[in-house]
Amino acid sequence: MRKRQIAYALWILLAACLFFFENNAGTRVVLFASLLLPLLPDIRRALFAQDQVGSVPRRIIQTRLAHADREEADSGSVRSWVPGDPINRIHWKLSAKRDILLVREQEKGTERETMRRSRIEVLPAPRSGRRAFLFSAVLSAAAALILLLLIPEARSGALALANRIFRASEAVNAYKYDYFPVPENTGILPAAILLAVPLIIYLILMLLSGSRIMVFLSAAACALFQIYFGLSFPAWANILLLILFILLFMGRPLQKRALFLTAACTLLLTLTVMLLLPGPNTAVESASEQVRDSLSRVVSEITGTSAELPAGVNETRHVHTQSLISGDGEASAKKEFRLIVTEEEQISMPHWVNYLKIALLLLLTVLVILLPFVPFILISAKRKKALEERNIFQSDHISDAVCAIFRHIISWLEAMDLGAGNLPYRQWTDHLLRMGLPEAYAADFRRCEFLFEEAAYSTHTMKEEDRRQLLDLLKKTEETMKSRADKGQKFRLRYREWLWL
Amino acid sequence: MRPELEKVVSEIEKAIAGKRSVIEKILTALLADGHVLLDDVPGVGKTTLAVALSRAVDLSYKRIQFTPDVLPSDLIGFSIYDRESGGFVYREGALNRAGLVLGDEINRASSKTQSALLEAMEERQVTVDGNTYPLLQPFLVIATQNSVGTAGTQMLPYAQIDRFLVRLSLGYPDYEAQMSMLRDRQGTNPLNLVQRVLTRDELLSMQRSVQQVTSVDAVLDYITRLTLASREHGSVDVGISPRGAVFLDRMAKAHAWMENRDYVTGSDVQSVFHDVCAHRILLREQAGEKTPADVLDDLLKTVKNPDHRSLFGGVHKK
Repeated sequence: MRKRQIAYALWILLAACLFFFENNAGTRVVLFASLLLPLLPDIRRALFAQDQVGSVPRRIIQTRLAHADREEADSGSVRSWVPGDPINRIHWKLSAKRDILLVREQEKGTERETMRRSRIEVLPAPRSGRRAFLFSAVLSAAAALILLLLIPEARSGALALANRIFRASEAVNAYKYDYFPVPENTGILPAAILLAVPLIIYLILMLLSGSRIMVFLSAAACALFQIYFGLSFPAWANILLLILFILLFMGRPLQKRALFLTAACTLLLTLTVMLLLPGPNTAVESASEQVRDSLSRVVSEITGTSAELPAGVNETRHVHTQSLISGDGEASAKKEFRLIVTEEEQISMPHWVNYLKIALLLLLTVLVILLPFVPFILISAKRKKALEERNIFQSDHISDAVCAIFRHIISWLEAMDLGAGNLPYRQWTDHLLRMGLPEAYAADFRRCEFLFEEAAYSTHTMKEEDRRQLLDLLKKTEETMKSRADKGQKFRLRYREWLWL
Repeated sequence: MRPELEKVVSEIEKAIAGKRSVIEKILTALLADGHVLLDDVPGVGKTTLAVALSRAVDLSYKRIQFTPDVLPSDLIGFSIYDRESGGFVYREGALNRAGLVLGDEINRASSKTQSALLEAMEERQVTVDGNTYPLLQPFLVIATQNSVGTAGTQMLPYAQIDRFLVRLSLGYPDYEAQMSMLRDRQGTNPLNLVQRVLTRDELLSMQRSVQQVTSVDAVLDYITRLTLASREHGSVDVGISPRGAVFLDRMAKAHAWMENRDYVTGSDVQSVFHDVCAHRILLREQAGEKTPADVLDDLLKTVKNPDHRSLFGGVHKK
């Protein structure tokens, strides 16, 4: 516990130093937000929860408990005796050692235990429905993006949106951007809507999946986006984003790991931001400059382009940054500084980015071409499978036929939400009665269930008569289900019927 | 149920009322040629049940009341020097001529005696001084273990409990059963009313036909998946052993045969699962208040039974 507190104090110290020396808004935001981390209850508990050990130094108790036998160690922590505590709870051995009365704390179960229990009780969710949802979500996101590319108004709207972001970024950062040529009075609404659709879908997927990897990746993507393009979202937006990510990250029961992982991520991102972006301090700046130079040299060696820096970039930029911060610099100085940075930015912009863009475009094109065919491919595969199964109904191996027909009956029941899940079919009869199906039907079901068991699990040869009984039951099932179905179920049944025609 | 077994059950029920399900389970274990561990408090009729069974079925009944003084040689016999012939003569122990052995309070025996009994159970023969003597067929051991007053006793370790086919407990009788029990005991001992309804040969042929029952791959696959899942379950330290899987199959076969079928279904496996497997599972300390029965329920719920539609086309294709 204490170790964690010291680590956090050190982090705060470091963060304060960085905060003072760094002018990039994104970095500052990340640092500031990390100061706010303990406001989250889970993290606060992990950092500051007190052990209930009276005046006894914890170390001594730990060693004592290590020597004491297992049962005592398992019984939880100890605290000093207060009037009213029952005598049989006193930890005599430890009390004798310490010369004060200590009592055992009896806890119902440790945090870890309850966690384990809750994890066991969660049954695996059905996969197929989820996969279908995922597929359709990705499809509609892709469709929105493609629409964005196809509609000219939306395209220019997106460019206008980008221009706005550039303008906002220029206000807080020492950068100059080349604005996209956009006709006057372009509405950004259609583009915003089309961009919001995939974004919202992505968010929903992230929330639903509860996957930490996804949350972490999107946090990293946000940070890298800001670093690479030199864009900084407004500070409040960054804080909100960070808190959102951490909350999502904590969506599952807290593990100690999570805390350290978050801190490590924040540190890593901050260092990246510091080294890759220019700052006001000469030492930091030249370190950052060296990293950027070596990076661009590596890139230029790979891509075969020259990456000469304009002479005196560092000095000029430092002077101008200082004037920018102090506020007494001229507008022209600001502009000049931005131009220098832009030139350098162009040098370090690696070529493979273009190839990446081309690859992404190709991928999108393939998706666009395939998109209209996807439903047909899916449905025809389903139909083929259904017809194959239907053929088994008339197969010469009567036991195969009996199994297939009975499973088909089961699928009818499941389509009507009458299924009993992972129970053997023998127990389904009672379940069906409970669900309000007529007794005559249940009796038939039971008879056919015995036939199914014989067909599935024995080596007996079945009679033609048995197949007829099963087919009778199938017909009865179809009729019963149709008479019981409500509107949504009717649609489902009609789809099934069409599939099986 | 088969009529010949129905007769046995009703005979035994004359002596012990209201315990039909336990009687059926013991009969199933007898048909599956396995041994039974009765784990219960004293005085609920464990001995009465065993005696009634030995009277209804033609089994020679021996009872061993275990104490720390009982030695292995009491069970499996010993060789003694015969002065007249000048050689060693084998004196039989309690197990040699027994068909049904009631090992009462097995946890009071010393561990060497326990292992002598368990070896005989497993091998169905005893070896003394290099000579091997086969035991009678069929050979059923019903061992009892008291769960109260265990001070100074040797509870069977996990490795030995694993050799019993099933572990059962009788439980207290309900109001009706206890009233009728008291009423029956007013005159004669009801045990004397039990008549022999099944001969040894009939029983042997039944055991043979139980072995003929088929378990198709789908069922074996289910048993395998159940045992594997038990070993990976979060609260389980030691899961169901391979021997447990074999016993599960055997018991399921007997269960199917009792229901007049010559093939095993998933429901057979499910109905004997608790009795066969509850004593083969050791829980972790973190399992908290969970009992092995809860874990087994978990397994039955999560592991797909062989009827399940999604398994069709795999192991089900004949």
